[in-house]
Amino acid sequence: LSTVTAIATPRRRALAHSAVPALLILPLIVVIFALVIWPTVQLAINSGTVSTDFIGGGQSASGWSWQNYRVIITDSLYREALVNSIGLSFLVAVTSIILCLGPAWLLARKAFFGKRLVRALFALPMSFSGIIIGFVAIIMLGRIGFVPQMLAMLVGKDWLSGVAYQFAGLMIAYVYFEIPRATLSLETALAKFNGQLEAAAQVLGAHRWQRWAWVVLPLIWPALLSTFAITFSVSLGSFGVALVVSKRFALLPVELFQQLFGFLNLGLAAAMGIVLMLIAFVVNYSLRTTAEYLAGERA
Amino acid sequence: MRKLLAVLLATFVASVGAADKVVVQYDCIPNYANWGGVTAEYAKFSGVRVPPDMKGSSAAMAALEAEKANPQADVAYYSGAIGFQAATKGLHDGYRPKNWDKIPDGLKDPDGKWWTVHTAHIAFIVNKDALKGKPVPRSFADLLKPEYKGMVVYPDPTIQGTGFTFVYGINAVLGGGADQKMGFDYLKKLDANILNYAKEDSYNEVLRGEIPIWINADGNGLKMKHVDKGPIEVVIPQEGTIVMPLVMGLVKGAPRADEAKKYLDWLLGEQAQRVMAESFFRPVLPVKLSPTLESQFLPVSAYAKAKVLSLETMASQADRTKQRWLSEVKRQRS
Repeated sequence: LSTVTAIATPRRRALAHSAVPALLILPLIVVIFALVIWPTVQLAINSGTVSTDFIGGGQSASGWSWQNYRVIITDSLYREALVNSIGLSFLVAVTSIILCLGPAWLLARKAFFGKRLVRALFALPMSFSGIIIGFVAIIMLGRIGFVPQMLAMLVGKDWLSGVAYQFAGLMIAYVYFEIPRATLSLETALAKFNGQLEAAAQVLGAHRWQRWAWVVLPLIWPALLSTFAITFSVSLGSFGVALVVSKRFALLPVELFQQLFGFLNLGLAAAMGIVLMLIAFVVNYSLRTTAEYLAGERA
Repeated sequence: MRKLLAVLLATFVASVGAADKVVVQYDCIPNYANWGGVTAEYAKFSGVRVPPDMKGSSAAMAALEAEKANPQADVAYYSGAIGFQAATKGLHDGYRPKNWDKIPDGLKDPDGKWWTVHTAHIAFIVNKDALKGKPVPRSFADLLKPEYKGMVVYPDPTIQGTGFTFVYGINAVLGGGADQKMGFDYLKKLDANILNYAKEDSYNEVLRGEIPIWINADGNGLKMKHVDKGPIEVVIPQEGTIVMPLVMGLVKGAPRADEAKKYLDWLLGEQAQRVMAESFFRPVLPVKLSPTLESQFLPVSAYAKAKVLSLETMASQADRTKQRWLSEVKRQRS
């Protein structure tokens, strides 16, 4: 009500102008606090409780300790899972950028028949949950998957049977669900790309690849970096696909799940969550800062 | 209109009220020992719902321990050793259900802290189609052959009691000593052929042929073969196997203790024990089986070398064994 009166009184219009944006952003601040900051603080507090029992239950009451973080670094299983998670997310991010750059370029720069349909198809995997994508991978590339069965029928050899359970299968499933994210993120960035510069380079006699390497690529660096940041973080935290598909390959979100539901070791699970969050945050923040710096330098 | 709404609301409340009668059983995996069928039968008999619960024995015990101050579950089901361990940890109240006296000694706790409902044996459950022409493995030694690489699954022993029973018992089957070395040496070699240590129940994956060889309770395989008509063969390894009593207990401070007791009584009655038998888990009480059903069980001779292990010893070494498995088998994976 006070806002309404504030707007209504001409004398206080100036104040209203500064108060309205603040009021508009208030819900966002509340949401960020309730859904991001508060749970993170709780998680950080929990990550300090050490389970006294080997399996589950007994939580120590002896105050906050770094013990769980130490376990993640020193225990070979968790350390390997952490390294694997970072490595896989990195590979997935790079692969999906390489795969999506071409389609994103087409979608952003060229008009063609059926563009809307193509865009909708590209966005489709985003609406599937991780577990569904895991099942898709198994149905297609499992031991009795559709692809090996069809190959067996066509050429008599069940090639690619069981690929879903190997590293390649994990890569395929992850890249599959990163494709829409990478395409959308790249397309938005490429749409802003100034085509005149490329045209100028063409007029000056630069070949196609020269234009790409010396004009286009430097200009789209910020877009590549921010796309990398988002795909990397989503892969790092993804859990459903890994739970269904990853058989031999340890990944930190899966170990976290096991601590939470298998051993009821909430402290260690919370510590793993904090570690994943920190990595995602640092990568996102630093890459975005770099991207903005690069973009600003150009402008 | 308002009247209609009132009627609808009343029916809704009534139906919710009726469905509200539940007993919560930790470790109530629908495809394990046909708990899906058993609980459906109980709902028909009593109107009380026992919802599925996917925790394995150890996960169930961990949950009970975490919820000690504020119990959520009423009853729990385990592989014998883990149930024994949970009782030792004081997670159960003593209760002697109906027909208690008829359970053979050694398969129950004198104070009613746990008792057996049925027994099973560790077996290879083999999907013959998924083997693609390779011979069906007949022994634990066969299972180490490189031709089965990536084909074998057993449940993660830190979560599922059946996995624990196998990991603990394999040493005795192979004739190892108290140091468990022979068993762990075998498990380390077997790791080369393992597809994964399943955290969840693998019944459907085996039936479909995604997993060719599953080390699990014989009854689950016999159900796949005779009830689901899958291309399944259940093999009791030549070296022998392990007898696995499956036990239950009343959770300490169970929030619905009265309903829980009725349910536990019913599980040891004729009707429930028959459903369990029809799912190929040997009921703990003598139930007259039809000759067809009896012939579908594996012949008694297959179990000639089955080892009966002391649940007490197993329970006392459970944590150490799981820890050793984590460090010597799981952490050594390449």
